[in-house]
Amino acid sequence: MKTPIFSAFLAFGLVSGALAADPPLGLDPALLTKPPTDSWPTYHGDYSGRRYSTLNQINTDNVKALSLAWIYRANTSPQGAQTGGEGPDTPPPGSGGFGLDIKSTPLLVNGVLYLTAPDNVWAVDPRTGREIWHFYWKTRGGIHIGNRGVGMYGNWLYFLTPDNYFVCLDAATGKERWHKEIANVKREYFSTAAPIVIRNHIIIGVGGDSLDVPGYLESRDPDTGELQWRWYTTPRPGEKGSETWPDQYSMEHGGGMPWLPGSYDPELNLYYFGTGNANPVLSGHSRPGDNLWTASIVAVNVDTGKMAWYYQATPHDTHDWDSAQTPVMIDGVIDGKPRKLLAQANRNGHFFLLDRTNGKHILTAPFIDSINWTKEINKKGQPVGDPAKEASIPGALVSPTTDGATNWPPPSFNPDTGLFYVGTTRGVSVFYLTDTDPRPQGWAAAERHVGNFGTELKAIDYKTGKIVWSRPLAMSVWGPGGGSMGLLSTAGKLLFGNDGGGNFVAYDAATGKPLWHAGLGNNTTNGPQTFLLDGRQYVVVGAGDQLFAFTLQQ
Amino acid sequence: MRVTHVISVAAVLLSAVGLGAQQPPPTPPVAPPPAGTPAPAHPPNPDEAAPKFDPASVERGKALLVAQCGFCHGSNARGGQQGPDLTRSDLVQSDENGKQLGAFLKVGRPELKMPKFDLPDKDVVDLATFLHSEIAAVADRGKYKILNIVVGDPKAGEAFFNGAGKCVTCHSPEGDLRGIGAKFEDAVMLQQRFLMPRGGRPRRRGPRAPGSDVPPHLQPTAVKATVALPSGDKVTGPLIRLTDFDVTLYDPATQQMRSWLRTDGVPAVTLTDPLQAHVDLLRKWTDTDMHNMTAFLATLK
Repeated sequence: MKTPIFSAFLAFGLVSGALAADPPLGLDPALLTKPPTDSWPTYHGDYSGRRYSTLNQINTDNVKALSLAWIYRANTSPQGAQTGGEGPDTPPPGSGGFGLDIKSTPLLVNGVLYLTAPDNVWAVDPRTGREIWHFYWKTRGGIHIGNRGVGMYGNWLYFLTPDNYFVCLDAATGKERWHKEIANVKREYFSTAAPIVIRNHIIIGVGGDSLDVPGYLESRDPDTGELQWRWYTTPRPGEKGSETWPDQYSMEHGGGMPWLPGSYDPELNLYYFGTGNANPVLSGHSRPGDNLWTASIVAVNVDTGKMAWYYQATPHDTHDWDSAQTPVMIDGVIDGKPRKLLAQANRNGHFFLLDRTNGKHILTAPFIDSINWTKEINKKGQPVGDPAKEASIPGALVSPTTDGATNWPPPSFNPDTGLFYVGTTRGVSVFYLTDTDPRPQGWAAAERHVGNFGTELKAIDYKTGKIVWSRPLAMSVWGPGGGSMGLLSTAGKLLFGNDGGGNFVAYDAATGKPLWHAGLGNNTTNGPQTFLLDGRQYVVVGAGDQLFAFTLQQ
Repeated sequence: MRVTHVISVAAVLLSAVGLGAQQPPPTPPVAPPPAGTPAPAHPPNPDEAAPKFDPASVERGKALLVAQCGFCHGSNARGGQQGPDLTRSDLVQSDENGKQLGAFLKVGRPELKMPKFDLPDKDVVDLATFLHSEIAAVADRGKYKILNIVVGDPKAGEAFFNGAGKCVTCHSPEGDLRGIGAKFEDAVMLQQRFLMPRGGRPRRRGPRAPGSDVPPHLQPTAVKATVALPSGDKVTGPLIRLTDFDVTLYDPATQQMRSWLRTDGVPAVTLTDPLQAHVDLLRKWTDTDMHNMTAFLATLK
């Protein structure tokens, strides 16, 4: 990619101006099915969810010379920005409170980086860190906790807002093309996912579990934004799965938000994603049963929106252990046979390995040692909850906490080492039932964190579920730091992550030994990504409101 | 806590950072700001998110609900024999100050035997205010009220204290725990305190435990770090921060923060936790033991 940035722009401009009705030409969709090298065209880099790069210019031998290229500090001022949105000029009360963390994984397409934070999208020059354009969304409200990034189709970008709009921008200018409302912010829905683009389908999901509303995944048209299909994460009466709920009322208010981007197997045409926790969140009294398809890994046909299979990681979840964490595709070997696999390090503390052609269970293995909420692992490999560990009035002591053994930050799988990497934490909480009504609502219980046995970065052998190495993270006067973290592994035998103490670290992927670090003053807050530009490999990571780019000193 | 950072001897002493010797010392250069900790996936609404409701209007609305709607929809609006839950209703949740609710009530839903109601506009507003306040209370889980948790058997708690819990090794009801039940008005705080006497960062709202205004590194419960210097000297003090690349402690001798860079585990750092017994017990508590202990300590007034 030697193209100067302005000529790339010129090309964008011509395309968007002259061929508005035709599929635009900016992003070559063939890139999405290959390991990323000189682009990072989708949330995970490619469809696999592995977050593994074949680049090895930066490697274990030279990583000591990795050096800061630039910093981009997120500019959230509406001044000088392209604007859109249905909200007032001044954000309404309740739409702040979280500070600004870059949780999006930036895309890199045709020599431009695209990243987001709630209500904001930026195009940034990857050579200099200079802002090219800024789009600012005037919000109507909603929980502004995070945004995972944009999806791209041709020359068009898509992103979701906390007030549940599906917004399409022109990638060349940042100008809005249109927006569509996908959920009602007054019902406490809020949207954070990065849209995943599969051919002419834009796959998006909603979030928000404060008010017992139903969850759904949608596919929308890239040109018009119109709905192609919607898949509800709980069944309708009479459907298979409805027998796992007591009645229509409970399943229609059963939650199950698919709030994170998933992975996709083009050969099987299946999109894999996780569903969220059941509602009411911490009380199961009004919803006896397994509560399908909450807290599950689900495969849907991308063209029809029909479910191909499901695997429920937490039957009858009563601890907010949704199953939304990235399902990672592994083309591996089990018992000497090549297999299409799907792996997930679940918030409930267990690593799952499935056959992704049919959802058949292969392996369940706990990856933290403090789990105390299970009675047994059943024949299907599912951890079965101990009813005594559900929230009670005087309190139930449970590990992990509702934050989980891990959480949304993307893990990584490295085919060279055969290791699945994940940031973990061993917290303990007391769960107090607060809503004793026969029809509890919302969370229905309060949680108090009481301790943490430690935080570790772990490498799991996908074939056995065994922990191959485990690295304790930072300690502070407040206790163990960090835990869950975004990860990237490369053919340079490196694993990029943080140390829970504000350092961005390159670990030896085989051993976990730290080889290089940079103190960013803040733990990293997104999934790191990497690309080759003008013959140089860059590693880009967000920490708080800043995006950092590193490259080898030359 | 249960950290066993590997130890070896020698090398790199870089700098002792003087941050001033005044008491109390300034906020230590601890770890990263809270922003760096993994965020919960579904946060409680921040304080500012809570809409404010006129309490008088809420009361009037509640009375109206009971009188006019409760027969079908339940006296708390969560549904009854004949009528659905109102607080979970899309129409109610989407309503703006009674506007949509009022329009609906004027027509009703005769096909489902929901009659129309001719309520004055101000009554509709009160009704809507009550329903919205109920919905907001559900949504704001940060304000959920924990019920009475002192339900255990104090005698059994005392037996655990002196027996299996081995609490008596360090504590005594007549000594350090004298009056502990009175000191902690909030039993939840008391329970949290005995489970893990070293809290995390102070809570953003709500009551704080006695003594929690003392900086954490000056509390006797702080983890102690010993740094083995290349000179052979050792420095011991409350741990401020430990990573693979640096260590900071509070040096009681100089009343200063001191920090050193680390490479490949050098200088070696050993940690000792004065609360190790609590950490170990945290893995062993049954909920019944925990409830009994709460009840026992609550009686120490």
